[in-house]
Amino acid sequence: MSLDNILNHWSDYRKGAEEGGHHDYEHRWAMAINLDLCIGCNACSTACYAENNLAVVGKQKFEKGQAMHWMRIERYWDQQELEHPEQGASFLPMMCQQCGAATCEPVCPVAATYHTPDGLNAQVYNRCIGSRYCSNNCPFRVRYFNFYSYYESSWPQPLEQQLNPDLSVRDKGVMEKCTFCVQRIRTVKDKAYMEDRKVEDGEVTPACAQACPTSAIVFGDTMDENSRVAKLWKKHQVERGVYQKTRHAKKNADLRGYRIFEELNVDPSVMYLERVREDV
Amino acid sequence: MSETMSGKMNRRSFLKVMGWSTAGATLAGCDLPSTVTLEEGKEDVVSYLMPEEYVIPGVGVWYASTCTQCAAACGIHGRVREGRVLKLEGNPDASLNHGKLCMMGQAGVQGHYNPDRITSPLMRSGGNLTPVSWDKALALLEEKLGAVNGERFAWFTGTISGHQAALVDNHLEAMGSSTHYVHEVVNNAVSRAVYQDMLGESNPRLRLDKAKMIVSFGADFMGASVSPVHYAGQYAKFRTNKERGLLVQVEPKMSLTGGSADLWLAIKPGTEAVLALGMANLLLNKIKVSDAGIPADVRSLIDSHDITKVARITGVAGHRIQRVTQLLTERSPSLVLPGANAEGQAQGYDTVAAIMMLNHILGNVGKTIESSGEFPFPQLMARQGGTADLLAFAEAAKSQKLDAVIFHGSNPLFTAPASLGLSEAMASIGFKVAIAQFPDETSMAADLVLPVNSYLEDWGTQVPANQGEDAAIHVQQPLMEKLHADTRGFGDILLTLLKQRKNDEYAQFEDYYAYLRNAFAAMPAGVKNNAKNNNEFWNTALQTGVIKVASGARQLSSKVVSFAAPAEGGAGLTLIPSPRLGLFDGRHANLPWLQEAPDQISKVVWDSWAEMHPATAAKLGINDRDLIKVSSAQGNITLRVTLLKGMNADAIAVPLGNGHTDYGRYAKDLGVNPLQILDAIKEKKTGELAMYGTQVTVKKVGPADDVSLVRMGASDTQAGRKLVATIPVEQLRRTEGS
Repeated sequence: MSLDNILNHWSDYRKGAEEGGHHDYEHRWAMAINLDLCIGCNACSTACYAENNLAVVGKQKFEKGQAMHWMRIERYWDQQELEHPEQGASFLPMMCQQCGAATCEPVCPVAATYHTPDGLNAQVYNRCIGSRYCSNNCPFRVRYFNFYSYYESSWPQPLEQQLNPDLSVRDKGVMEKCTFCVQRIRTVKDKAYMEDRKVEDGEVTPACAQACPTSAIVFGDTMDENSRVAKLWKKHQVERGVYQKTRHAKKNADLRGYRIFEELNVDPSVMYLERVREDV
Repeated sequence: MSETMSGKMNRRSFLKVMGWSTAGATLAGCDLPSTVTLEEGKEDVVSYLMPEEYVIPGVGVWYASTCTQCAAACGIHGRVREGRVLKLEGNPDASLNHGKLCMMGQAGVQGHYNPDRITSPLMRSGGNLTPVSWDKALALLEEKLGAVNGERFAWFTGTISGHQAALVDNHLEAMGSSTHYVHEVVNNAVSRAVYQDMLGESNPRLRLDKAKMIVSFGADFMGASVSPVHYAGQYAKFRTNKERGLLVQVEPKMSLTGGSADLWLAIKPGTEAVLALGMANLLLNKIKVSDAGIPADVRSLIDSHDITKVARITGVAGHRIQRVTQLLTERSPSLVLPGANAEGQAQGYDTVAAIMMLNHILGNVGKTIESSGEFPFPQLMARQGGTADLLAFAEAAKSQKLDAVIFHGSNPLFTAPASLGLSEAMASIGFKVAIAQFPDETSMAADLVLPVNSYLEDWGTQVPANQGEDAAIHVQQPLMEKLHADTRGFGDILLTLLKQRKNDEYAQFEDYYAYLRNAFAAMPAGVKNNAKNNNEFWNTALQTGVIKVASGARQLSSKVVSFAAPAEGGAGLTLIPSPRLGLFDGRHANLPWLQEAPDQISKVVWDSWAEMHPATAAKLGINDRDLIKVSSAQGNITLRVTLLKGMNADAIAVPLGNGHTDYGRYAKDLGVNPLQILDAIKEKKTGELAMYGTQVTVKKVGPADDVSLVRMGASDTQAGRKLVATIPVEQLRRTEGS
């Protein structure tokens, strides 16, 4: 980025998320996750390990919080006052929310994490110096740091042959996180470009959404009004942007869509649909 | 620069154009288009400038095959790039799993590329297994099996189907034996026996998607069940139907499926039949549903189970039982499912019969329980396993009735309770052959180990025992060249075995591929779907991975079978050796992704642990994470405890999977195996092992510490944050429902 460019567009760069940020987006990839369908089975998480070359760290490092599960299933117990959890467990698939006003981005001293014209919160591995400021600043705790090199311990021969050549294996000192399977997006975008057409809805499916046995995860481009995900966001009156705007947007409070930590104004790209329970 | 950026061309397409125009120069710079000898005279390094046929460097191609990570046999697609299989996904053409795949299926590649695979035949000499050539191994095989009396020969496998099953049958016949032990820890064998007697069919189609309400007596249909992905897909429809389905789960330990219940009820283990009788009592005597078809002895059993008594025995509150029973009549058609906890008792058959009777009374048979029809290829149908064959095998071995046994796809030395004395008994079997991929407990005790291809390197056909909408044969094809030069296909080994006995019949097949091609060509025109010739049929079968076959129509009967008065549960703590999606029955303990995937309910990783209700633990002076000793009459295990409210107070659960004494670097010496301390109680009617019938005592033997038991997540509660928001169904009905 030349100095001229920055000077010429300074006001654009200074534009806050409230005004849509400075990007002229090409896509805004997003998800809708129906928590009433999530059964907490871990299929998404394991698919993510397979697709994204995630390291297995082992018991001791897991205990230190160094596991690399980009997509993890959190499990909460509600109804603490009861003798038994009578409405089962509360499962939450949690991965990078690809925030539109990401708190991790401005704190990176080397701009290793930045916002792409696809609306993704990208992590440039070769640029990362491992300050971990981004991780500290992430309210969702979905950034994972390579405290060690795992390429020998995690992939003893011939396990390394399974590695996906579409993306790198990250080394010690580098932060990593969910990319919405950017390599899959890239492949589809390139194909569409070569065929001189737009990316069609459903053409890109991240590994987690593909695997989900109950199809709880819907992925797509919210800029494509006809995409399933855009329709779901619209149906549930969840809008891009920050809290003030969306709270006013939601006219029917009964609708199930919400974004986690909406009040933090980080503009997540993942809309969750509330879990439903029937009181018997 | 800024003009370029703001114009139509973005940075990436700019680079691309640059790339094209300078392609020649770039290539010349990094990859010399020539056949370079890296080390003179040793190896030609041929770059991908001369790729193999059909291989486009950098482009992944998806090929169809079949998953064998559990007995469900889901269709898969494997992504192959530069000759390596990288990623597995469900095959959308398979109506069983509709393009979906569970965590075990996803981790299949880690079995294939596992660093602890057996890579050459091993023969026992001087007490140790030492590598030998295939020639030597096969010569020994021929010599030993040629000398054995056919009646003293047996096969021991996991669930097996398709042409491999047919060949095993043929081999048994050629040997003059009829003994094929089929063993599966996660099974529904007792239910199958009841289904057969009650419905006239042992694998009826359970239509969860058509039910408006499901009451599951511990059926973990989305977790450790006979077809988890299939039932999870049905569950999704059940929940998204116009009228959202209602799930009530009754079980002593919360299963994965129980975690998704609208109402989860903790029942005292071993009292499931009592609850079913109590519900029948309400239906017949209070709600006045017709008792047509209920035998007199059953009727009197029902009448003797009034709600007060039932509530006292089961520990389930009377008003809950009444409400659930009432709802069952309002939400018709419903579905009542028996699960492993109900089956795994000395009176398991009676318990399942009592539970299935509710489906009869509620008129669910024919609505949510359908016939799966007549499968036109009986010789290919799945030989479904259970634990009865494990017990029978142990008895036969103990009474020295076996001289030679071939093991494949099952690990009885891990899954057999110590009280069966299987490891000693097996020593009396003169010749034990393991056709194995890994050094597990059973293969390491064998006299001859034949290294088998992984399922991603092998040919085969699989017939799911529980079919999807369309009955189908699933085709398994190699997704890549085999990794290790000295492994062989299972079908190829079977053919070799058959050639040793009946060369005249099998010499015509050069290998299993040739056998399968021949078998496919011989299939009736009806399944060939208008293929012009056998080649086209074969190619289509490989491309889709699925051969659809039309099942013959069949009608289910709905007959209530008589059963004995149920037991009322044990007096002390009952051990629940719970299988889980992931490590399953222990077969996936060598897959690091699955060890590192937190247990869905307790969130523990890389370990074994016990689950107890906090109230039970408090009574015994046990705290969370304490080290405890769980003792049965057969032995004890020492492990850490995690307190969980999703438990009945009279139960202690120890998940299956770990506790291997062998099985490679990821599994060996990690955790404990609860199966070891089970009493060898037999289910009275089917001879299955009563897996949930062992009483144990628990004692604290060590204090808690923070590092020995590792759980994901620092907080069990949402602490008032809106993470997983829950709304009542009425709100959903206002916005999305009818």
